[in-house]
Amino acid sequence: MTAADVYLQQAINGLSLGAMYALLALGFTLVYGILELINFAHFNVFMVGSFVGMWALEAFGVMPGGAQQAGLPLLGVLLAAFGITMLASGVLGVAIERIALRPLRNVRGPAAMITTIGVSYILFNVVLLALGADNKNYPNPLPAISFPIGGAVLRLREVLIWAVSLLLMGVLVWFVQFTRLGKAMRATAQDAEAARMMGVEVDRVIIAAFFLGSALAGAGGLMFGLYYNFTSYIIGFTAGLRAFTAAVLGGIGNVPGAMIGGLIIGLVEAWGGQLISASWADVIIFSILVLVLVFRPAGLLGRLTPNRA
Amino acid sequence: MLTRRSVLLATSALALLALPGRGFAAEQVVKIGIDASLTGGDAQSALLVKNGAVLAIEEANANKAVPGVKFEAMVLDDGTATAGQYDPAQGAINARKMVADHAVVAAVGPQMSGVGKAMAPILSWGDLATITPSSTNPDLTDPKFAQQYRPAGKPIYFRTVATDAYQGPNMANYFADTLKVKSVFVLDDTGAYGEGLANAFQAQAAKKGIKVLGRDKLDPKAADYSAVLTKIKQLNPQALYYGGVLQAGVKLVKQSYDILPGVVKAGGDGLSGPEMLTGAGFPAAEGWYTTNASPHVTEDPAIQDWVARYKAKFNLLPDDYAVTAYDATLVIIDAVKRVAATGKPVTRAAVRDAIQTAKVKTLQGTVSFDANGDIEDRVIAIFQVHKNDKYPLDDIIHQFRYVGVAPQA
Repeated sequence: MTAADVYLQQAINGLSLGAMYALLALGFTLVYGILELINFAHFNVFMVGSFVGMWALEAFGVMPGGAQQAGLPLLGVLLAAFGITMLASGVLGVAIERIALRPLRNVRGPAAMITTIGVSYILFNVVLLALGADNKNYPNPLPAISFPIGGAVLRLREVLIWAVSLLLMGVLVWFVQFTRLGKAMRATAQDAEAARMMGVEVDRVIIAAFFLGSALAGAGGLMFGLYYNFTSYIIGFTAGLRAFTAAVLGGIGNVPGAMIGGLIIGLVEAWGGQLISASWADVIIFSILVLVLVFRPAGLLGRLTPNRA
Repeated sequence: MLTRRSVLLATSALALLALPGRGFAAEQVVKIGIDASLTGGDAQSALLVKNGAVLAIEEANANKAVPGVKFEAMVLDDGTATAGQYDPAQGAINARKMVADHAVVAAVGPQMSGVGKAMAPILSWGDLATITPSSTNPDLTDPKFAQQYRPAGKPIYFRTVATDAYQGPNMANYFADTLKVKSVFVLDDTGAYGEGLANAFQAQAAKKGIKVLGRDKLDPKAADYSAVLTKIKQLNPQALYYGGVLQAGVKLVKQSYDILPGVVKAGGDGLSGPEMLTGAGFPAAEGWYTTNASPHVTEDPAIQDWVARYKAKFNLLPDDYAVTAYDATLVIIDAVKRVAATGKPVTRAAVRDAIQTAKVKTLQGTVSFDANGDIEDRVIAIFQVHKNDKYPLDDIIHQFRYVGVAPQA
């Protein structure tokens, strides 16, 4: 491999990671934008999503180590698995909001945030106790197709991750920009009190934010399984922490910021591993975060501030 | 009416009634602690080890190996959910639990060296001997580190396995002499065991003239190793050596199959577990070399009836570290027997001294220890994962093909 190939390959590696971080980061940002709440339960909604995706695939007859599929059956299975996983994860997110967070909505201080940490650990331990601690092999119907680009290799699963992430993020942007509920979300993010006075049903907006964020996390969990061929009760923390960092880096509450933040973190992780050492990945990532926050405390793209023009 | 006072009186009366009964007890209960990493990435290997010790204890009770003594297992898990694998902090808690229970006279374990480093000083102050079936980090028994790992003085950490001072270097010899490897990249999983094993391998590899192209560490909790594997691909080494356990190991095996085809890949006993077959599986695991720091005996015709007993009891095939765990327990039972035979009380100190002078016939041969607690016969067995269609794909005995004994440094 020439040096150029290596950089290209690491860019491919990093963009795949980054696409997953970005999907997860969107969930943090949506909820933060509206409630100013950092939802740590999101870490493990992602993890539960990857298990739901596993069961969905197995329900369609795709088994770990089983035959690969192609063409329309593959597309159908993937669409159905993504649909089920996103729906189930979205419902889980809404349930968390309804059961654990809504009673605390008007409580000042960090109570709600601490509750999300608690919920996160509950999900983590329930999955651990119910399903065991070993890594689960993931059913994977994707054929092992790869495209050589010079000395670098682009695999079908990477293409899939990028395509699905781009599609989902595109839909999200469209939703937030152009639908009634999306507009209501933006209005609530700018000023919940004023939005309520203008007739926006804030409860519905909050439910929508949790549903969308959690559904995206679920999709991320399923992609994680397809990409790495395993899942485990423990995957939420590392990915969640990086995604949260991505959200803060891009400017928490800011939808494009979360996407860009995710991609940057992914690329830094890959190139940092190349240029310095993989064991320094976290040091590099968090140093960059600190530097960005020192010079731009609101993140790269800034907080989604009220447009008072 | 039932007053608080009458309840108190009744309970004291009951207690008084119960007391004399203890004097008539025919058997003394002697507990043997068992510590393994039953939660997390090494859970399946841990289960094999734990079962080995439990089997020895149950057979000793059934055969009345020591008259007047009933053995009981105290099983402790040092794996935690937050670590996702072994957790030294939990190991320290477990060591305190064993020390606090006066019925515990000796222990089997821990499975992992990282845990051993946390447990050893506590066990030393508690004068409680432990025999590890699988923790191979040399520091634990090295007199250089006596201050850290046996501050109370006497050796309390015994092993029925060899150490990484043999496991790493002997594999490097095999790389150089047999596989004719010229260049290698070395990885570890940041754990006490993994780092030590990788260091020992790397030092001997360099001495043998193998070019070490680089060294990096894998975060066992991370999911993605593609960045470091791409870097390794660019350096184009002939071989890859990994020091570490299965939490990172399984992911490494899976991902390096895609990114580093055609590279000779090897690891230590941290990879010789069932997860290599159930987690990494074929085709990713095919061709990986692993070692065990004990002789390979599970295919030895002489112990097939033991293999059958193990399989019948647990519905699992034992691996060589199930054997070393069984052997370690036999040594403890023998020590208790010798102490009991002298008519002296079975205390921790007496059992420790008896273990130190043990000469016990076990499955792997006669076990005896040197002055530091290390086993005297040090054998490193090499295996290669090789799909054998005649057996189930998760058959721990037959999917690891025995290659032979690694050449001594």
